[in-house]
Amino acid sequence: MNDVTSPVLAVVVVGAVMMAGTYTVAVLNTLVGVAVSGDRVRWGRAVAGPVRTAALMLVQQRQSTEKNDAPGWLIAPALLAALAAVSLALVPLGPDLVAADPETGFVVFSSAIAFVMIAVYLHGWSPNSAFPMHGAYRYSAQALSLQIPFLVAMLATVLPAESMSIVDIVQAQESLWNVIRQPLGLPIYLMAAASVSFWGPLNLPDAADLAEGTSAEDSGVARLLWQVARASMLFALAAMGAAGFLGGWWGPWLPGFVWVILKTLALLLILVFAGHTLARVRIEKMVVVAWAVLIPLALVNIFVSGVFLL
Amino acid sequence: MDTPRAANVLLVAGDIPESLSEALAHTHDAMSHPRVTVWWSSVPVPQTMAERFPGLVQVDGDVVEAVIAVHRDLLAGRRSSEPPILPDVDPVPWRGEGPYHQGGSGMTGGTPYGRPMAELMEDRDGLRLDYIPLKVGPFFPRFPVGLVLNVKMAGDVVLEAEAEPSPFTTAVSDVLAMDAEDALFARSLYEPVAVAELEMARARSHLRWLADALLSHELHALGLRALRLSVEVKAGDGVAVRRLARALSWTQVLRWSTAGVGRMRGDDLAGMGLGPVARAAGLEEDQRTDDPVYRELGFTPVVQKGGDAAARWRQRIAETVQSLDIAARAEGRETSPMQHAESPRGRIEPDSVPFSRLLPFVPDLIRGLEWGDAVTSLVSLDLDLQAIPQPRVIAEAAG
Repeated sequence: MNDVTSPVLAVVVVGAVMMAGTYTVAVLNTLVGVAVSGDRVRWGRAVAGPVRTAALMLVQQRQSTEKNDAPGWLIAPALLAALAAVSLALVPLGPDLVAADPETGFVVFSSAIAFVMIAVYLHGWSPNSAFPMHGAYRYSAQALSLQIPFLVAMLATVLPAESMSIVDIVQAQESLWNVIRQPLGLPIYLMAAASVSFWGPLNLPDAADLAEGTSAEDSGVARLLWQVARASMLFALAAMGAAGFLGGWWGPWLPGFVWVILKTLALLLILVFAGHTLARVRIEKMVVVAWAVLIPLALVNIFVSGVFLL
Repeated sequence: MDTPRAANVLLVAGDIPESLSEALAHTHDAMSHPRVTVWWSSVPVPQTMAERFPGLVQVDGDVVEAVIAVHRDLLAGRRSSEPPILPDVDPVPWRGEGPYHQGGSGMTGGTPYGRPMAELMEDRDGLRLDYIPLKVGPFFPRFPVGLVLNVKMAGDVVLEAEAEPSPFTTAVSDVLAMDAEDALFARSLYEPVAVAELEMARARSHLRWLADALLSHELHALGLRALRLSVEVKAGDGVAVRRLARALSWTQVLRWSTAGVGRMRGDDLAGMGLGPVARAAGLEEDQRTDDPVYRELGFTPVVQKGGDAAARWRQRIAETVQSLDIAARAEGRETSPMQHAESPRGRIEPDSVPFSRLLPFVPDLIRGLEWGDAVTSLVSLDLDLQAIPQPRVIAEAAG
């Protein structure tokens, strides 16, 4: 990937994969929702639904609020989508099939995740309105508590690979996947992934009790962009989970990239199913659990992994 | 949709009291273009309403079809978008700049532009922090229609709350707005009503509450399932309700997020006729125990321990199963009118409904709670402000 066209190609490919991922999340969410509600699954409606919703939002004119922070409001969804794109670009589809493989892949991913808080806070701050602001407050408490176990769980995957490159992390799982080597890792990662993309039970910043929180004042294209950015973040985290814990491209019979897709879909399914079956958690209890249970467990996970490598 | 910003059609179901028309106009103006208002009612559009909403579409029949048709017209450009109702001005005019360019006399404390500023107040930990005064309601999606709370929030914590009186002061004239089940319970004060019919109405009411409560806990698909069950449920079909209850309880997360929230002590509730709320706190209070027909059917009230939101959830689910069971066994039996009856929300009398006895508990109940817990507590109370302040009037109207 040394010629001039490859960066452009990488951007186009990552963008296309992200769009496909967002669409997959939307369809999967509809299907699982219909199944949980006990209704009959109508495939046509589930597949066309996201397009219809997006079209409706595009037709809708954007409403503004008084004395808002217009640039901030505009940047927030773009920032969140960009962070999802950065994370996604690091996920390899095969040993030589990756948009970006810096030696510091894990660090790049960590910093992208850390910035999610900025995007959500900005999104809540900008409309100059009470419910979005409260959503933003909430997310600061939530993100501070859950990003630490998230990254510590992910950090443990660096140890067996003895490298911070995501490709090396997947390479190191040829004989044994990290989900078995570090059994605590994936559950912590998934819980925290739901929090980073504020999904389902951990959707506290955009929660129903705040009339959609940071999104309460969003309409039209702005609303669409925020929803797309959030779904693509969920997709990127599922893909990264598949690489970090489920052995990425490793698997028998099928080509490597198919395995990556299947594993990503499996993790997405877990996250989406959790979103439809688990109630919103109380932020107070969640913060306690994050600090008193998840962080110690993530540390135990990392120490145990270290001991096995000695 | 939890916010008018995302909506294009405002559906007004039934009559709106004059005191809510201003708030309705605000909700209307918060919607995005293109937008339209649909009024679902059988009585002619009142003059005031017609003036405020010039593009109003009235529907008296299949409301779903009508809303879809209106929405389609709107998107296709066959119907023009409604202009704002209220003028886009500040509630209080700007009072000019101060001598040090500090933003005028209205800026230091007080209410610049008519908006109250953050001020200091002690929070639950004894710290003096900024609070934001906030008026929530009367169309806040998680609250019953008409409930207005004036809260002082420090971050996500409710420092103080005050409930405004119900805007539904007189019985509504519109039959669509009148809940058929409320009318049934009101009628049972004066005349014998089939036990089976009454218990089915109770089960349906609880299931509708469940559907709404599930939405506030982000469980939309399960909420839909509860709502469908509230329409389709048959007498004796406790199994379907239990199956739904299992779908809610197997992960323990719902219990985890409601346990210990909004606890009410049985001693404070004794004798107030607060129905499921009182029984969830362990009180065996139920007007049905006075009725010989119910005694004949072997009725004993189910109760829970705890008196928290989790207990109220369990209580309503248990009562739903019990009601379905009684409805199946009641055959042709009828109640004996006693001037008091047990509605799904508690004791009703000719001039008294449980809501007005429950509302005074609200400020103390949510003081010091996180906003999410405050909403969980309120939702678990099943307040219904529209529930007819005067069952007598409703019973007469319903014949």
